[in-house]
Amino acid sequence: MYDELLEDIAQENGLREVNTYTKLAAGLGGILLCLLSTSFAAPLFIAVALSLALLTIARIDAKTYLKIFVGPAIFALFSVIVIILISGGGEIFWRWQPLPWLSLSITRVSINEGLFVFSRFLGGMSSLVFIALTTPMTDLFAVMRRARFPAEVLDLAMIIYRTIFLIMSHLVLVYRAQVMRLGYRSIRESVHSYATLCGAVFIASWESGEDLVRAMEARCYDGKFAALGEGGPVRLRPALAVFSFLVISAGIVVATRHISFM
Amino acid sequence: MSHIILEARDIRYRYPRGPEAIHGISFHVRRGEKVALVGPNGAGKSTLLLMFNGMIRPDLGTILIDNEPIRYDRESLRTVRKRIGFVMQNPDRQIIAPTVYQDVAFGPTNLGLSEQEVKGAVEKSLRLVGLSGFERRPPHQLSGGEKKRVAIAGILAMDPDVLVFDEPTSGLDPSGSEDIMELLDELNQQGKTIIISTHDIELAYPWAERAILLLNGKILQEDVPDIAFGDQDLVRKARLSMPTLLELYLELERRGFHLPGRKPRTVLDMINIMDRAFRNKPCYTEPGTISLVDVDSPNGVDLSVWRSSNPGVPIGGMGTRAKQYAADRMIPLDFTYGVIDKCILKALLGEDSLIIITGSMVQRVHERVDEFCRENQVCIRVSNLSKDGNR
Repeated sequence: MYDELLEDIAQENGLREVNTYTKLAAGLGGILLCLLSTSFAAPLFIAVALSLALLTIARIDAKTYLKIFVGPAIFALFSVIVIILISGGGEIFWRWQPLPWLSLSITRVSINEGLFVFSRFLGGMSSLVFIALTTPMTDLFAVMRRARFPAEVLDLAMIIYRTIFLIMSHLVLVYRAQVMRLGYRSIRESVHSYATLCGAVFIASWESGEDLVRAMEARCYDGKFAALGEGGPVRLRPALAVFSFLVISAGIVVATRHISFM
Repeated sequence: MSHIILEARDIRYRYPRGPEAIHGISFHVRRGEKVALVGPNGAGKSTLLLMFNGMIRPDLGTILIDNEPIRYDRESLRTVRKRIGFVMQNPDRQIIAPTVYQDVAFGPTNLGLSEQEVKGAVEKSLRLVGLSGFERRPPHQLSGGEKKRVAIAGILAMDPDVLVFDEPTSGLDPSGSEDIMELLDELNQQGKTIIISTHDIELAYPWAERAILLLNGKILQEDVPDIAFGDQDLVRKARLSMPTLLELYLELERRGFHLPGRKPRTVLDMINIMDRAFRNKPCYTEPGTISLVDVDSPNGVDLSVWRSSNPGVPIGGMGTRAKQYAADRMIPLDFTYGVIDKCILKALLGEDSLIIITGSMVQRVHERVDEFCRENQVCIRVSNLSKDGNR
């Protein structure tokens, strides 16, 4: 509950001042190439390149980075195991039929398939995390405005963004107060405390909604929400780095299109 | 005397299903004044303040701005809120946008300013409150004092004539509180009328030009601070305590010391009164010099040279930009609040001092020192290094 939020890391990362479009090109380009690739090599390259960029240039703490990966990685691993066991084809290395209608096997094709899916997961996840850890939401709002997102949706998103942190801090306060008074000692008590916590946070968010209206009224709200000024301009070096990254990745996608692990 | 900018005439207000919060209050504020509404919790201070910009409409009575009663239609309220800026007690309730820039730009954007004008207004107000460079930061990452400054900048960007602050220093540490009070002084020096509500009587006493003591929705006393806070019974009735300096002065008087001059509002006043009462003159040595470095002056002064030729001379910072200037150049500041008085105290001991100062505050130093010198027949030299050259 007290973990650092991704958003906080993004606000202070080493690539914060790099132009948003440049960073988005690297992240979205990475995801697209992972999807286009028919081999495990290009997604792995993308994962390694973007992870290195995050750890060295953006100065993201390695432990935090690993932690972000752990949750999705567990899901991915399960899926990969299922893929390896269920799909078939080619040389069979291991086979087991626990039930008449269920046959599990590990084959050459299934290992290739599993590895391919896992490398895609790594590549896609690194690309997504690259965007999340280098580009704060506040910068993405500016891009969305530029991309002509409906103003109503965007204004609402911005207000929600601002309010989430207020509600979060309120939630932490109430939770701490409950823990201090042994509110989570037993299951019964935990359920009761959790319900009270939800109630308190609901009331707080209701109140902060009313405050918001008042604060907007007091500042002559007329249906307009200021846009955040543009971030840093597109600079040659980062743009070139991203361009070369995408070109090399695309090259690997093409060159390895027929290559598989086994 | 300048004209009345804000006036309350027999205001009454009752919260829905609640007791009457304001029982017939009348008072006025003149342009350029610094007024403190002082009272315990629940005295009706915040309710009253919210009426000034039309957030609450009184049940009875009238609020007048420039002798015109407030009208409560949408268009008139916009004009009122542009002229009377309200800074809430809790900045988290006032800051609505995801970044500092967007929040400060909120008012000007809704007033229909062009994008370029909005940008100019935001830059100007952030510079005024000392938060230049914070534009892209999200508010939840700021400290309490910084959030307060963002809230103030958001109001300043609308360029109001009157600034109303509800408990401007609540939740801030002493140094943060002093910085905010100093900022209020700076804004006042630039011509803004300032009204604050507070129950911190020690803070209001030296700051305010006029104090209004409130209790249970009524005005208990309205006068200059030394009279408003000087009546022990009234102060106790309002569940407040008398400012320490004033209490000390009154206790000394009660013990038969004849103390000349007006009641002290600052340590300087008190020292001066005691010097004159017991030693019959304010200064025993040749008074020291107060040097000024104006950070807004085009004539730059090389402070590192000055500091090495004047080692150990205490340095004060006046004005947000001046403090920023000192911080940027890693100059440690000895005084950041009540700077002029502290420098006069040094001068009376025969010691020199330096004030790094924002352009708009230079006049204030001259006025305060001249006033002190006139009252006490001493001569303290104020030398503006940015004007006279680096001597």
